[in-house]
Amino acid sequence: MKAGKVNTASRRPRFNWLNDLWPWLCAASVALSLLMLGALLALLLVRGLGHFWPATLEEVTLRSGDTFAGHAVREVELPQQAGDERLYFTGNQDIEGARWRWVTIEEIAERAQPTDLIRLERSPWGDFIGRLSAIEQDGQRWEGDAAWHRLATLLALPASQRQESQLLLTTVDGQTLRQPLASVVSAQAPNAMSWWQKTHVWGDGVWRFLSEGPRAANTDGGVWPAIFGTVLMVILMSVMVTPFGVLAAIYLNEIAHQGRLTRLVRIGVRNLAGVPSIVYGVFGLGVFVYGIGGSLDEWFFSDTLPSPTFGTGGLLWASLTLALLTLPVVIVATEEGLARIPEAQREGAVALGATRLEMLTRIVLPMAAPAMLTGVILAVARAAGEVAPLMLVGVAKLAPQMPIDGEFPYLHLERKFMHLGYHLFDTAFHGEDVQAAIPLVYATALLLVLIVLVLNLTAIFLRHYLRRQRGNEC
Amino acid sequence: MMALLLVTPPTWGQSLPITGTLGAVGSDTMAGLMLRWGETLTSRYPEVKLQFQASGSASAPTALMAGTTRLGPMSRPMSTEERDNFIERYGYPPLELKVARDALIVVVHRHNPLRALTRQQVDAIFSTSRACGAEASIRRWDQLSATRDWSFGSIALHGRNLASGTHGLFQQRALCGGLFRNDISEHPGSSAVVAAVGESANAMGYAGFNHLTPAVRAVSLYDDDGIAITPDEAAIQSGNYPLSRYLYLYVNLPPGASLPPAEQALLALIMSDEGQQIARASGFVPLTPSVLDAQQRW
Amino acid sequence: MTPPRLTSSRQPLRLLQDRVATGLITAGGVGVLLAILAIGVFLIWETLPLLAIGESLALAKLSPLAWGTLKAALAALLFAIPVALGAAIYSALFMSARLRTRIKPALEMMEAIPGVVVGFIAGLILAPWVERHLASALVLMVWLPLSAGLAGLLWQLAKARLQRRLPLSWAGLWLIPWLALMVVIALWLAPWMEQLWLGGDLRQLLDQRFGMDYATRNALIVGLAMGFAVIPSIYSLAEDALADVPSTLIEGAQALGASRWQALWKVALAAAGPGIFSAVMIGAGRAVGETMIVLMASGNTALFSASPFEGMRSMAAAIAIELPEASPGGQTYHLLIFAALVLFIFTFLVNTLAEVVRQRLRRRYRQMGGTS
Repeated sequence: MKAGKVNTASRRPRFNWLNDLWPWLCAASVALSLLMLGALLALLLVRGLGHFWPATLEEVTLRSGDTFAGHAVREVELPQQAGDERLYFTGNQDIEGARWRWVTIEEIAERAQPTDLIRLERSPWGDFIGRLSAIEQDGQRWEGDAAWHRLATLLALPASQRQESQLLLTTVDGQTLRQPLASVVSAQAPNAMSWWQKTHVWGDGVWRFLSEGPRAANTDGGVWPAIFGTVLMVILMSVMVTPFGVLAAIYLNEIAHQGRLTRLVRIGVRNLAGVPSIVYGVFGLGVFVYGIGGSLDEWFFSDTLPSPTFGTGGLLWASLTLALLTLPVVIVATEEGLARIPEAQREGAVALGATRLEMLTRIVLPMAAPAMLTGVILAVARAAGEVAPLMLVGVAKLAPQMPIDGEFPYLHLERKFMHLGYHLFDTAFHGEDVQAAIPLVYATALLLVLIVLVLNLTAIFLRHYLRRQRGNEC
Repeated sequence: MMALLLVTPPTWGQSLPITGTLGAVGSDTMAGLMLRWGETLTSRYPEVKLQFQASGSASAPTALMAGTTRLGPMSRPMSTEERDNFIERYGYPPLELKVARDALIVVVHRHNPLRALTRQQVDAIFSTSRACGAEASIRRWDQLSATRDWSFGSIALHGRNLASGTHGLFQQRALCGGLFRNDISEHPGSSAVVAAVGESANAMGYAGFNHLTPAVRAVSLYDDDGIAITPDEAAIQSGNYPLSRYLYLYVNLPPGASLPPAEQALLALIMSDEGQQIARASGFVPLTPSVLDAQQRW
Repeated sequence: MTPPRLTSSRQPLRLLQDRVATGLITAGGVGVLLAILAIGVFLIWETLPLLAIGESLALAKLSPLAWGTLKAALAALLFAIPVALGAAIYSALFMSARLRTRIKPALEMMEAIPGVVVGFIAGLILAPWVERHLASALVLMVWLPLSAGLAGLLWQLAKARLQRRLPLSWAGLWLIPWLALMVVIALWLAPWMEQLWLGGDLRQLLDQRFGMDYATRNALIVGLAMGFAVIPSIYSLAEDALADVPSTLIEGAQALGASRWQALWKVALAAAGPGIFSAVMIGAGRAVGETMIVLMASGNTALFSASPFEGMRSMAAAIAIELPEASPGGQTYHLLIFAALVLFIFTFLVNTLAEVVRQRLRRRYRQMGGTS
């Protein structure tokens, strides 16, 4: 497209470079954008959901005679073009001191997939990969297959009814370990599983990811508190933003004198939608947290100082900040809806003797309701994906206690909360072991993208549907 | 002095119903450790609520001062200025507790042939000021004898952001208080440093010992006697490794007052054997019994 | 609509209600607008103490950040503008109407993808990959536009039946597998080409021949990632502007003998120029303020370097990592708030400019529509 110098009109060959090629470049731009979007979503889907699929365990023997068990994660080229190397997840952090192992492909002498390899999910030390040699309980002892069945029966019971027992575990290189049953979360023998069983385990894994809290310093477990925190924050935000946004839009469109000033204000509001979210975060921190929150603490909660109540980031401040951030979105959308209502409707109502209030509540608002709804959904979608301002005003790395609980006053606005987006950032950059956290980060990212996309799609369809409906009316 | 601060520390394991909110703001290095201690605490006392924020050690004094938290985990001791500011605000010093041992490690890509560095070399690589006495800056891998054949050109440096204790301590101990180069990539977390170094062959970075993964290798450092010391558990616990350090927990505790039960239980857990084992599981090094005993006396 | 019951006894009550409600709405509306205004006032108020420190220090601390912000935004726009405008031109002028109603929301959907997700992919997945396969990545950037041209060439040479089966108006869709195939081919060929032409690793060559450093997280990565995030906003507005160009203009130009290229370049783009300008401005505003992507993909090195292979540090990212630690009232706190003020003013100005231009354009179209 850049080489626009050739004079195309003077000669007319059959194939004109400029004339015939640039539409293709433009078409390719669309294709490229869609390809990137598709690739991103596919990557998130495959990696995010694939993590829960029970991976086949390998017993690897190296040329040095060393053996270990684990599942292959990825391969990369060695530096200086010396072949490839493979990363294995080996677990057993308490025995080996590390959960990962890099081996060059050349080092590997043999790879086997014995069906008796098991993978135990444990709560303090992470996964164990190896063999179960026996289970001991009250002097009784089960060995071999019997031990595996016994373990399955024990794990099928709810945690409180499991009898105290000891697992005798052996790693593939012969080290032994005694593990109390209480610390075992789940057990699998993926190599012996049928496809159906694996699907079952997968579904279970996805469910646990969605319904449980994080474990082992956010490197394991689920994201339920983060989902809950995100949703609650977004609900609070929409409760705050909807009335004010609608009020401001009605004022601008119906009551204010439509002069130069109103036009300027309207441009100003529109532009605030383009102001970076981090600026709102700064405002929230300075005004809400340090300013208002600090004063509230001094007036009402001075007995708990120096422990702050509202003088630190929390749910309330975060929702307020995001409400401010999304206010322009709601105002603009509502105003668009209001502007689209034919003047004749208003005039008709007033001509029939309605006051302005009646005209607004009976005629204008019902007609503009869809636009408002679209605005609120767009606001929610924007707020759900926003992270930067939250880092300043109240998101926490771990707050497993929900901001809603059975304790008076039930809704704790001053508490910090977890947020999916921040959880993602935190596990990917602050976690103990990025490599271990990445599959969970993918899953979290997928979840966040799904939530935001569904919200946006709802808004788009709503707008589309309502526009068509209104089109029919006219 | 410390003996006066807490009246009756409960022994860890007492099963009284304890409620309250545990909030901590501070070190990113200690985030995982604080979380694990917190998790253990809540598994025993389900009523206790946790709220941790980890953005760097420098945020702990700020938050303690501003009153936004009572517990400030820090991966370095408080500076005199920070301590004075605290005293100015509250009239008493914060309670300082050592909670675990850690070390700063210099890491390179797992295939990098570099094994050991002198203190001067570390300084020459990371700083512009060369305050430790090196003669010239080291910019390229071929300037180090061990990596003469490591054909990756200049050394890509990775480190922590300004607010982290790791950043401050490395500056103070490894750069002899000098100035960092300005082309170091600043990451918001130690694990991000390790991950970045593990991905690129020309990289070198510094991070906390607990973030060491097999993707990178920790370089040994020569001590004053010219012996290369590998950062392993024994060398860190004994303090032989030049960049080993304590991890601290600062508590805002007015003299004569006692802590709320949740905080007391957390401190008791940390000082217990179980707490120290948790530190080990998180990749840190437990305190020696003598240090623990010295602090038991509060 | 029920006709209002006009009993005279209720009349004063209704009027009172009306007056009260109007008052409330006015109060609420003005209140909200004032609250929004308060952002600017707060930022300026908190920046005032900086005057006491002296501007030289503030300048020294902020200038690398300002440079980083501009560099990141520029890199993003370099990638986003051609792609977004190309896509806008295509979907406004060539795409079949049916496809357009589907594709436009799909592309606008890109905007909804949270920055933190894009940043994660860019920083932890894309950056290490590009570092290992720098040559492939660079080859891809040249190869993809070429392969689009190649598709066009092949299409011209193809039989009429095939041309009907794969029309240009649907090319946005059927080019996707073609491009995917080209990506695969390029990735397969690039290492081989690197060996053949460069005799080894491109990065070593860069280092030895040009003395260029390579940082894993650099302007190239930020440009790609943030470009991805900015494309939809530019696309959406530019497409609106182009689609609003009265079709009589373009048809008229072509009827007078202009080629498609001339009709586009001299008529459509010229007419929609201000709209496209405002689209780019809005995109620039977004790129300047985007926080998470830069934070996660830029390496956060406060450097004054123009090299596309070196990192940068932007104002937004600096605020996000350093403000929580800055003690309120301290120097860093005020400096960071000043940075926020700069961001605020910059985006506000850019957006206002865009908005004014767009409103003027709308008026112009209305006039055109009136005369034609």
